[in-house]
Formats: sequence, C-alpha cells, structure tokens
Amino acid sequence: MIDEALEHLVKGIVDNPEEVVISEKDHRRGTTLEVRVHPEDIGKVIGRNGRTAKALRTVVSAIAGRSVRVDLIEADEAR
Amino acid sequence: MSPKKSEAVTEVVEVVEEKSEKNLAARLEEEGDVAADYLEGLLDIADLDGDIEIGIENDRATLSIEGGELNHLVGREGEVLDSIQELTRLAVQTATGERSRLMLDIDGFRVNKKENLSELALKIAEEVKASGESVKLAPMNAFERKVIHDTIQKTGLSSESEGEDPDRCVVVLPA
Repeated sequence: MIDEALEHLVKGIVDNPEEVVISEKDHRRGTTLEVRVHPEDIGKVIGRNGRTAKALRTVVSAIAGRSVRVDLIEADEAR
Repeated sequence: MSPKKSEAVTEVVEVVEEKSEKNLAARLEEEGDVAADYLEGLLDIADLDGDIEIGIENDRATLSIEGGELNHLVGREGEVLDSIQELTRLAVQTATGERSRLMLDIDGFRVNKKENLSELALKIAEEVKASGESVKLAPMNAFERKVIHDTIQKTGLSSESEGEDPDRCVVVLPA
C-alpha cells in the first residue's frame, strides 16, 4: 500500500508519470522505497533545498505509521 | 465623434476586467478540482475515509478534508498537513502550469489554530497598548504570522516580521 501511495504522490508532480518506478526493499531496520524518475523530473521531486523530497518522506512515513526511507533516483543511473 | 470613441474604450476595459475576474474564478475552480483528485487518490490508496470540500477564499482555492480519524495526516504542529499541502500545490502546478497558493485543512486543524493565534494576538495587543513597548513573539511559519498580522491590524496597532525562516517572528509595535 505504501509503495502505491508514494507512486501516486510522485506521479502527480512530475511531467513523465509513466516513467515513475517504485521498488520496495525491506530490511532489518525498516523499509526503503526507491523512486526512479525521468532525469528531467529529478529536480521536481527533490525541490528547492530538498523541500519536496522532505515532504514526500514526511507524508509517506505518516501514512505508513513508521519511518520509511525514500530514495530518489534518476532512471538513467545503473542499478 | 471623440466622446463616442472614449465610450467604446471604456466598454472594452470593462469587458477585459470582467473576463479576468471570471478567469480567476475558473482557474481557482480548476485548481480545486485537480487538488481534490490528487487528495482523493491518496485517501483511497491509504484506505482512509474523508470528505473533501472545495472552496474559494481570499483569491485562493481552499480544500478541507473531514474524516474524524485523520490525526496522523495532520501530524505534530501540522507538519504532515503542510507537506501534503505542498505536494498538492505541486500537483496543481504540474497539471495547470500555474503556481498554486491553495490552502489545505484537515479536520479543522487550521481553523482551530487560527482561532488560538487570534486570541494570542489580541492578548499581546492589550499588553503592548498597556506598556507602550513592542513585543516579539516566538518564531512562526508564514501562515501563523499572517494570522497574527491580520488580527493585530484590526486592533489599530501594527506589526512586522523579522529574522529568517525558520526563526522568523512577528514583532507587535506600539501605536
């Protein structure tokens, strides 16, 4: 559910929503959600001074009811 | 001949003004619709119940979600609410190409906050009037400062903001 919520939040604020890919990684310390976006959109999801990235993390953690790590990645980067 | 000409010009100006007013209302309405879709999608996915009301206030689109069990979407000091508002503004900007100043409220958080801040401002205004000395308030965000400024203005005193965010605060000045 939380990955879907993040996907919805990100898709609404980028110019290339069809290129948004979320992958969830569970590890001992919690969950990390990796968000891949089109290179042109990376600035949008990070925002000025990281403001948008912070907002995404805050909302996702609130909905999940626990701290969730959100990593924002340009789709071009090697995995 | 010439009076007629100026009449025609006046008419054109009126039409243009009417049009831009209509544009603003239509634009704010569109903002509200886009924002409501974005928020509704989020509530659906998170399986949360909430009714979304859309309005227009002070030339801004306003949205309020009433659900009763949405405390976690408000967060401490409204931190989560501010984040959702920020993302919703961006969603509107992405859809319309225009910057949005929409205001979001959840379960009356901002309404209550506004009331408390207005009360605080009135109390401070009394103090300043009695002492004739300015009073500096605790750091506040832009929304909170605006509520204080608006209330102070009604008391006949004036106020200004000083410092940089997040330490920016209101100073209430004696008359």
